[in-house]
Amino acid sequence: MNTLTLVDLEKYAKTMAGSGPDWVRVSMDTGGIAAGADTVCTIFEKGAGTLGFPFEVRRVGSLGYSFADPLVEIAREGMPRVIYGRVDDEVAGHILQDHLVGRRLLDDHILAWRNRALAFDGPITYILVKDTSAEKGDKSQFFQFSLAEELKRCNLQDKVQVVRAMDMGVYDEGVAVQFLPSRVTYTNVLAPDVARIVKTSVQGNQVIDDLLYKKPDRQVRIVMRNCGKFDPENLQDSLRYGVYQGLARVLSSMKPEDVIAELKTSGLRGRGGAGFPTWLKWQITRAVERTPKFIICNGDEGDPGAYMDRSVLEGDPHSVLEGLIIAAYAIGATRGYFYIRAEYPLAVSRVEKAIADAHQAGLLGGNILGSGFSFDAKVRLGAGAFVCGEETALIASIEGKRGSPSPRPPYPSERGLFGQPTAINNVETLAAVPAILVRGGPWYAQYGVEKSHGTKVFAVTGKVRFPQLVEVPLGVTLREIVFDLCGGVFGDKDIKAVQTGGPSGGMIPEHLLDTKISYESLQELGSIMGSGGMIVMDQDDSMVEVSRFYLRFCVDESCGKCAPCRIGGYQMLQILNRVARGRGEKGDIERLRAISKAMQKASLCGLGQTAPNPVLSALRYFEPEFKAYLEGGVSYARKMNANRPAEPVAVEPANA
Amino acid sequence: MPPETVPPELPTQLSAWKDEEAALLESLEQIEQEHGFIPRNIAEEVSRVLEVKLERLRKLQTKVESNVRKEVDALVAKWKDEEGSLILILHEIENRHGYVPREIAMEVSHALGVKLARIYEVLTFYHYFKLKPPGRHNMSLCMGTACYLKGAPAMLAEAKTLLKVEEGCTTADREWHLDVVRCIGCCGMSPAMVVDGKTYGRLNASDVSRIVNKSTQPKAAS
Repeated sequence: MNTLTLVDLEKYAKTMAGSGPDWVRVSMDTGGIAAGADTVCTIFEKGAGTLGFPFEVRRVGSLGYSFADPLVEIAREGMPRVIYGRVDDEVAGHILQDHLVGRRLLDDHILAWRNRALAFDGPITYILVKDTSAEKGDKSQFFQFSLAEELKRCNLQDKVQVVRAMDMGVYDEGVAVQFLPSRVTYTNVLAPDVARIVKTSVQGNQVIDDLLYKKPDRQVRIVMRNCGKFDPENLQDSLRYGVYQGLARVLSSMKPEDVIAELKTSGLRGRGGAGFPTWLKWQITRAVERTPKFIICNGDEGDPGAYMDRSVLEGDPHSVLEGLIIAAYAIGATRGYFYIRAEYPLAVSRVEKAIADAHQAGLLGGNILGSGFSFDAKVRLGAGAFVCGEETALIASIEGKRGSPSPRPPYPSERGLFGQPTAINNVETLAAVPAILVRGGPWYAQYGVEKSHGTKVFAVTGKVRFPQLVEVPLGVTLREIVFDLCGGVFGDKDIKAVQTGGPSGGMIPEHLLDTKISYESLQELGSIMGSGGMIVMDQDDSMVEVSRFYLRFCVDESCGKCAPCRIGGYQMLQILNRVARGRGEKGDIERLRAISKAMQKASLCGLGQTAPNPVLSALRYFEPEFKAYLEGGVSYARKMNANRPAEPVAVEPANA
Repeated sequence: MPPETVPPELPTQLSAWKDEEAALLESLEQIEQEHGFIPRNIAEEVSRVLEVKLERLRKLQTKVESNVRKEVDALVAKWKDEEGSLILILHEIENRHGYVPREIAMEVSHALGVKLARIYEVLTFYHYFKLKPPGRHNMSLCMGTACYLKGAPAMLAEAKTLLKVEEGCTTADREWHLDVVRCIGCCGMSPAMVVDGKTYGRLNASDVSRIVNKSTQPKAAS
């Protein structure tokens, strides 16, 4: 590709991507490929030639619905766009035959749209139906049959097809029905309503108000705005979807101070966990006068159970690169590094390709877009050390040493990589930056709550019915995320707790799920926001076992440099081990608390300071469970702890 | 990769070593050509058979125009201008061989002028680098939180009994290597594991034997 100019960028953003109206997008992220997206994609590519009309197969990033991998989105002229989930080779063949040629949707694989409409905008051609209640006895088939019969009675069977969906995006709302193409959704539909639906809605095109599902979608996609839309390995496609527009605006009309001011208005805070204001970090680094300066994108997503950084890097690498270039411009850096886990080979190769393409197009290198600003970026691989997510350890690792943290101050903004001023930002933070600069700080600040603005991606996993990535404005409650967006707990059990923040975070018990999520509120509950892993636990999970699991992780990952973390962690693990075996001693709980306090106060880096968090929060909300282990041994504790609710305790600051 | 359990076969002209160093060199070259580098167990065997001190043998070894040296030199040249290139070089070695052989680490130490201890400091710190050769088949069980909650411990127990090997170890016949890893980022399909580079998701303990059988079977001629 030739060197781009500002005019080219604008021209690209105005042209539509893709050629024809008929295409398929196959989600080719690590999750999708693991579930077989590769072969599905080949089937579509082979089949495309036999269809008799131009049909384009696109490899895209993930939409985030991990429970339904591999995902496939299909557009066919004259038909509504549809997302299919759990597409195996056989289903792919059926899609080619029945959907694309026969114009009939497939049962049991469709994911209904989340952006639901409140009114019809044309005649109904397809009806999705699904029983969303968690209890046994699925009524979907019955309702599909009765709707089809009713349509037949009205002589509409050729115009409207009734399809069983795989997932409706609403949960525990009885039988739900979505009309395509308008995306109007009804819930709690009962058998007597069927005749009414066909008469009023299908024939009359009128909305039935008492059935209409009016709650808007809670998700707001800013960081994941481009994931699943285009081929992440294709720079031109990225340009057509408006990537690099933020950079164009910055380089053509903004001074570095303006960029920082815009971010200050937006209220964006570091999405890696600690929540340090991004603008402040940039300003401090900018204020240091020594050059050269460096910028690092922290993609060392070590928190088990979180995979949003991987998804963004795989689905939209150019936006992260754009954010990195803007950050470099703001702080005056000349070189940047992506530090990515070696366990994410696909993310690494896509970012490497993005950098090479951007280089060729003149978006990296000397005199970017004719602005006189020069910047270069490189990829560095992590090598499987959790502590390398910590700033100073990460810097040591890029320098080619073992990733031991060093005491702060001096902060990296003053003395970072190779002793030079360095700013380190998380993948998610950088991905949000271009959107803010295109649409303005006030637009971003409208989302969220006081002090915590904007959106955050959460990876909801564990014992949840529909594990997936969700991006929500801060201020949403945990209960909304777990129940409204992800369908609640797997297998008809009761929820016991939600764990946020990974090995540095804590457990949040059921009775506190209505807390609005923000950096401060989670900290008050004794947890942290962390990178956004959210793990749902049900009544079967023993809190002693879970806190032991997390602690073992931290002990394994401790670099051993400072004594509180190395020795304290090991001692705590010994105590927890004997408690879990039913050999606990009197005073063990107090001992755990005392060691935790010492670790929090005296450890060198974040790993040691936060390692006791899972244990402390488990003790705080589930102390009776630990006591049951101490007093009655393992089998007694298991019996007692089944269905024991968490003790309601007064909320007090965690570090008090 | 040399099977460390089988006593290594030594070249025939080794017997003439005492008279001429050249013969020994030739033999070493032969071993080197066969394996890509001179594996430690073979070096030890040679030094035992010939009653040469290992150090002297190592010194002789450096005279062999070895592939290892060529490989390492190429890597060092490639990353010469990068600051902090050690980890990058080790990454390439790990990806090429599946582990970081001591012989290569020693070459890297020569080529970069970094002490061997410094290299091992890095190697032992990061989980990604392995010091022992992997098995013919490799199973990495994910023990991230999501997988842990959804039954990965039961899968691990099943894999241990099935392969008769502890976690982090290789079976005696070097067929299987069993590893426990932190989160492979497929939490949406937990519990998951990676066998020979292919990721399997939504598993339970009974799937382990199916996957093991599938991987062990010779590929059908298709």
